[in-house]
Amino acid sequence: MSGVVVGGWGFVWAAYGITAAVLLIYGVSLITRLREERARAAAEGEPR
Amino acid sequence: MIAALSKELLLQWRTRAQMLAVFVFGAASLLLFSFAIGPNTDAMRTFSAGFLWLGLLLSSTLTLAESFHAEMENRALEGLLLLPSNPRALYYGKAIANWLQLAILGVMLVPVMVILYDAGPKQILLMLLVIILGTAGLSAPGTLYAAMTAQVRAKQTLLPLLLFPLIVPALLASVKATSLAILGDPMEQSRAWLGLLFAFDLIYWALCGLLYGRVVEE
Amino acid sequence: MTEVSTSKTPYVFLTLGVICLLVGSYVGLFIAPREEYMGDVQRIMYVHVPTAWNWMLAVIFAFGCAIAFLFKSDFKWDARMEAGVEVSVLFALLLCIQGSLWAKPTWGVWWDWDPRLTSVAVLLFASLGILALRKFVEDPLKRAIWSAVATIIASVDLPIVYFSVKWWNSLHQQQSSPQTVSSAFHLPLRVNAFGILFLMIAFIMLRTRVAAMRLRYETSAPPLVAEGELA
Repeated sequence: MSGVVVGGWGFVWAAYGITAAVLLIYGVSLITRLREERARAAAEGEPR
Repeated sequence: MIAALSKELLLQWRTRAQMLAVFVFGAASLLLFSFAIGPNTDAMRTFSAGFLWLGLLLSSTLTLAESFHAEMENRALEGLLLLPSNPRALYYGKAIANWLQLAILGVMLVPVMVILYDAGPKQILLMLLVIILGTAGLSAPGTLYAAMTAQVRAKQTLLPLLLFPLIVPALLASVKATSLAILGDPMEQSRAWLGLLFAFDLIYWALCGLLYGRVVEE
Repeated sequence: MTEVSTSKTPYVFLTLGVICLLVGSYVGLFIAPREEYMGDVQRIMYVHVPTAWNWMLAVIFAFGCAIAFLFKSDFKWDARMEAGVEVSVLFALLLCIQGSLWAKPTWGVWWDWDPRLTSVAVLLFASLGILALRKFVEDPLKRAIWSAVATIIASVDLPIVYFSVKWWNSLHQQQSSPQTVSSAFHLPLRVNAFGILFLMIAFIMLRTRVAAMRLRYETSAPPLVAEGELA
């Protein structure tokens, strides 16, 4: 490789941003899914 | 296991019309691939190895799924389990039969490749060896996954979905080695690829046989 | 089946993870010096490498759970394995995105067939296949056994895929893929690694609970009379 890679901050922000977004969305979806499962279990009278 | 194998071969012989249909499918695939590259003879010869193996891979999903069809029809899979023979022997019998079928298919597709892509193998023995080792690599995990997916709703999609990522090393090695057989091998690289194929086959024939019992237990 | 845990531990890990990631990313983005040849783009490595380490851990974890289930036949291992596979899919996806965002300014192409990243992509598809398999098999026992078998087979394949792609690629590219971080600044790397590790632990714990609850639902007998529906 010759020379220095100049700039590229757009890619850096995209990488960090997408990573953060994906992790956040997945975490939230997990908590939501867990709440749903607990609600369903409670509704059917299962021992929680 | 010999009994299982001979049963499989007998079954295959009886349904050899189906084998012919798969060959036509494979040949048609090779034809279609050539349209993807255009009538550039040089380019087609360069990629002929890839086309051959892609065609074989696609055809394998047909033959592998078919190999458990008879069992599923008559729920014979469970019946077989009641016999004293152990499931491992059943697995190897089926896997070897599938291997044979795929290898024959591979050999049959070579002349198609020669005609369509002007890709005559310079080293026929190497070509044969690659087909034998490569199809072995497809057959071992393929038979295992075919046994699983035969009992499932979305079987046609699941089998390739599970098999294709798995056999990437076998595909890479087979295509590379075949390419060397066709285009020439000045640096004697084929040995390395054959070695990789052989290792892959060894590992998966052992591993899948080991796991098969769990897959078909009730 | 025993009660599904309700401890607050995963939330502790979530919090720790977020804190570590915030700190590590801040340092990596603003404090770490610009890399000599790679410029600022190399900062992506401060999040890419930790994700890669943790992806590997998730794969090994799923593999371990698969083996544990085949030996012990305890469904808690099946639940954990499902969590492990799903989290490994998540991280593999992230790796491919991060890797592409790094490759484009560096090599001018989105995908440069780097053996490590290519192996991740192959295992991503294999893991998606495993998740698909689980979706289509209704019987919990069959589903557990089959996906455990598939997980073992896919995990064993990973090193083979890596070496085969490495050989395959080495015939064409002479570049040594400089995806390592220059030795000057390891701090953001380590902090982010722990950050993602804590998040991963939390994800796996929570996802296991979801799987366990669903398993309980599937394996329990249906109530003879639904609540509030007495004839």
